[in-house]
Amino acid sequence: MPFGRLSRVPWLGQVVGAWPLALVAIALVAVRLSKGALLSDAYALLSRPFWPGSAQKEWLQAAQQLDQQTRLSQLELDNRRLRSLLDLQRADPGTVTAPVISREPGGWWHQLVLGVGGLQGIRAGDSVIGPGGLIGRVESVTPTTARVALLTDTASKVGVWVGRTQRHGLLTGVGSSRPVLRFLEKDPQVRPGDVVVTSPASTLVPPGLSVGVIQSVDDKAVPATLAVVQLSAPVASVDWVQVLTRREAAPAGP
Amino acid sequence: MASLHNRPLFVVSALVVPLLTLAAPGVLRIGGVPPSWAVLWLLPWSLADGPLSGALAGLALGLLLDCLQLGGATQMPALALLGWWWGRLPRRGPPIERSFSLGLLAMLGSAVLGASVLLQRQAGGGWAALLTAASLHTLLAQVLVTALLAPMICSLLLLLWRRHSASARG
Repeated sequence: MPFGRLSRVPWLGQVVGAWPLALVAIALVAVRLSKGALLSDAYALLSRPFWPGSAQKEWLQAAQQLDQQTRLSQLELDNRRLRSLLDLQRADPGTVTAPVISREPGGWWHQLVLGVGGLQGIRAGDSVIGPGGLIGRVESVTPTTARVALLTDTASKVGVWVGRTQRHGLLTGVGSSRPVLRFLEKDPQVRPGDVVVTSPASTLVPPGLSVGVIQSVDDKAVPATLAVVQLSAPVASVDWVQVLTRREAAPAGP
Repeated sequence: MASLHNRPLFVVSALVVPLLTLAAPGVLRIGGVPPSWAVLWLLPWSLADGPLSGALAGLALGLLLDCLQLGGATQMPALALLGWWWGRLPRRGPPIERSFSLGLLAMLGSAVLGASVLLQRQAGGGWAALLTAASLHTLLAQVLVTALLAPMICSLLLLLWRRHSASARG
């Protein structure tokens, strides 16, 4: 019985008796080999109550937002100036703020009635934007009211543009709350999450108004790819909208 | 029996239909779809006032409603047909006044009206455009909410108008 005889060696008994120390040593080696993962994790766990709170995050986000807003307004100014230089958009659209006095986003017709009309300079064909983006176009006008065909109405068709892949499409209402985007080519390489804006080539609506976000893409649709778009403006709950009135185009200069 | 159209107040009550269509109260909707107010007014009127008056009232309501909606679809033929049909019904048998019958008639009327609008608006795209989920949803929801409201609204109007016709006859 070799083990019985070995256990009687005095120094070996001490070594075997020190197994807790050996465990600690192995743990230390493990910590060393894992570059202190255990220590860092333990430190993170212990110091969690003292981490920087939400207040600091909000300050940073507010600062970022302010920065982005100033840059946005600057870019809009630039954009307008450059467009006027290029003679793309002769008439600078004025905006008229209008209350929604009748709302019918369900049913057979998807329409709004606004409390402004021909007396305020609204004309049929003007674009209507709500908080968040384009919601429709003025269909008919009386002296004090205007009827708006929403983008979700089956008769609505607006040319739009997917900025990321730079593809044109036709946004068609189907009577549900989400219009369908029909692309002109077979493989437009769009994916859910892409942002849809009004087409830069459109003559019906001002270019570059945000419209919505692509929610799902049907690659197998015939004749070309279809995508379902979630509008960015909450059509069913909008109370005030802005009408972009188009002034008469200035006569072209010499 | 045909005496309702001689009372200006009753005739003017038809103006409530376009006003309610415009106001579209949010509580009286199913899935965002409002009821067909024209059907709810036309049903008791036709039952109480006869086929000719019903058809004329349907035409007038259709004219009023068409100018409130987008596009070229019209509700006039369907409403006139419904008014004429409902006006003829009481001649055949006992007067129709039970809630269930009123709900059923309003359901059929709303379905006919919805189908006529659907055909006019989306027939251009073939069957695929007609039978979309959105159009079926709108049709079913409108039929359902109209049929649910009919026993309440139509019974009251029918009671009021029947009593008036009876007292006018003596």
